[in-house]
Amino acid sequence: MAAATDEQLIAELGLRRERPWSLYDHPNLIRAASVLVFLAAWEIYGRRTDPILLTYPTAVARAAVELVRSGELFRQLLVSLAALAAGFGASLALGVGLGLLMGRSRVAEAVLDPHINALYATPQVALTPLLMMWFGLGFSVKLVMIFLFAFFPILINTAGGVKNVSASMVEVGRAYLASDRQILFKVLFPAALPFIAAGVRIAVGRAVVGMIVAELFTAITGLGAMLTLYGNLFETAKMFVVIVVLGLLGLGLIRGVQVLERLLGRWKETERAAR
Amino acid sequence: MQTSVDEARILAELDLSRDRPFRLADHLGMVRAGSVLLFVIVWEIFGRHVNPLFLSYPTAIGRAFVQLVLSGELLRQASGSLAVYVVGLLASLAVGIPLGLLMGRYRLAEYLLDTFVYFLDATPRVALIPIILLWLGLGAPAKFAIVFLSGVFPVLMNTFSGVRAVSGGLVDIGRAYGAGEGKIFSKIMLPAAFPFVMAGVRLAVGRALIGIITAEMFTAVTGMGALLIRYSSAFATDKLFVPIILLAVLGVVLTDGVSRLQQRLAPWKETERAL
Repeated sequence: MAAATDEQLIAELGLRRERPWSLYDHPNLIRAASVLVFLAAWEIYGRRTDPILLTYPTAVARAAVELVRSGELFRQLLVSLAALAAGFGASLALGVGLGLLMGRSRVAEAVLDPHINALYATPQVALTPLLMMWFGLGFSVKLVMIFLFAFFPILINTAGGVKNVSASMVEVGRAYLASDRQILFKVLFPAALPFIAAGVRIAVGRAVVGMIVAELFTAITGLGAMLTLYGNLFETAKMFVVIVVLGLLGLGLIRGVQVLERLLGRWKETERAAR
Repeated sequence: MQTSVDEARILAELDLSRDRPFRLADHLGMVRAGSVLLFVIVWEIFGRHVNPLFLSYPTAIGRAFVQLVLSGELLRQASGSLAVYVVGLLASLAVGIPLGLLMGRYRLAEYLLDTFVYFLDATPRVALIPIILLWLGLGAPAKFAIVFLSGVFPVLMNTFSGVRAVSGGLVDIGRAYGAGEGKIFSKIMLPAAFPFVMAGVRLAVGRALIGIITAEMFTAVTGMGALLIRYSSAFATDKLFVPIILLAVLGVVLTDGVSRLQQRLAPWKETERAL
């Protein structure tokens, strides 16, 4: 009955278990209030402004309902997501594969890295006109743009991660007669996984940027095309719907990758804790 | 001198050879140079056979470069872009760092602002370009706004997490020695968070470059981005490559410059953080 004596002591000394109410213990209250004030101010100010220039939250909500009802939002979102998944998948496969090669072989690294560094340093948007000339305005140009935006962070992080694997781990593998393949898949790849995950996190954000840039300029399908279309029609409320969707998409993807990163890097944490 | 002769004699007697067999891995510089040279030569040969509307070749690009420099076109457009870029980036530092410090130090500021900051940070800034152009027109103010928005969030987020990473012990010691809030900011918070801030600046430099190019491509009036659009519309592919290469060089110079600056200004801590 230790708890009872605790309570007795507390009562005797006139102490209180509860902390006095503090605003700081309720951060979500402050957050909600802040967002509400912002939305209210926007609503009031927005209604007085020319609707071509600035819209207001309820108009954005109405536009959102309209776009969802007509199915347009989902159709375009699906198109965008398909391109994103295909382009990102390609950059993941190639980036990790080539990264393993570059991290393992110094000759391969020397052959490839001048080109890769040059391409990585180039702001990839600058390549848009060239790519549009080569690949047209359809799905393929989006795919290539997303690939180019996402590929380099994955490649560079994978190569860096593989180079970072301590030589003694590989030596132990060799001492136990592991084949090259086993060393690659059982030693190097798992050891490099946290680095790869970090590269993927950067790449996801960039892939979304690549998708939007491609769609803004080709302006035929996808969320970016909706932005251009409604911008030209001066339908500001609908533009905001698209911007909010893109924001949520970005937020969701980044959170998703963070979770993945924690899952993949879990052994790394346990390794550190065991020491 | 004597020993080396002896050594050579002994080596000769024992029929040992000093030279290692030739291996590519010993001549990585050569491999690199060879790789680049081969690429340029193949491009030159291949490019001359392809329709010049779609692909140019290195010597044609070199000629176009000289032509654009001599006519002053390149310098005029580049300096216009750079001026806006520098001012926008400085503004994003001037806002991002203090706001990050504030949010990291005061929980009230954090709770009030973090919803907006996270959401805006996750929204790809390129998605905001159409609406910014609607609000601010096609001139310098719109470009400034886009550079600012591209740069401010990486700086803000990194400063914020840098300040939060400052150990409470440092602040307690400061307090124990009677440091006021101002002193704690300037002598403890800022130096401790500085490596994070610089990592944010490095991210901002690249993102702002992407921002300004995209904006200029979209408006197609002035600047390097406008050159890209103009030459691609005219199918002047050789000229199109000139701003692309120039932007690549600019990208390398800027990121490299910031890394150097980071090492010089914050040599006490190497923190790599990409949000």
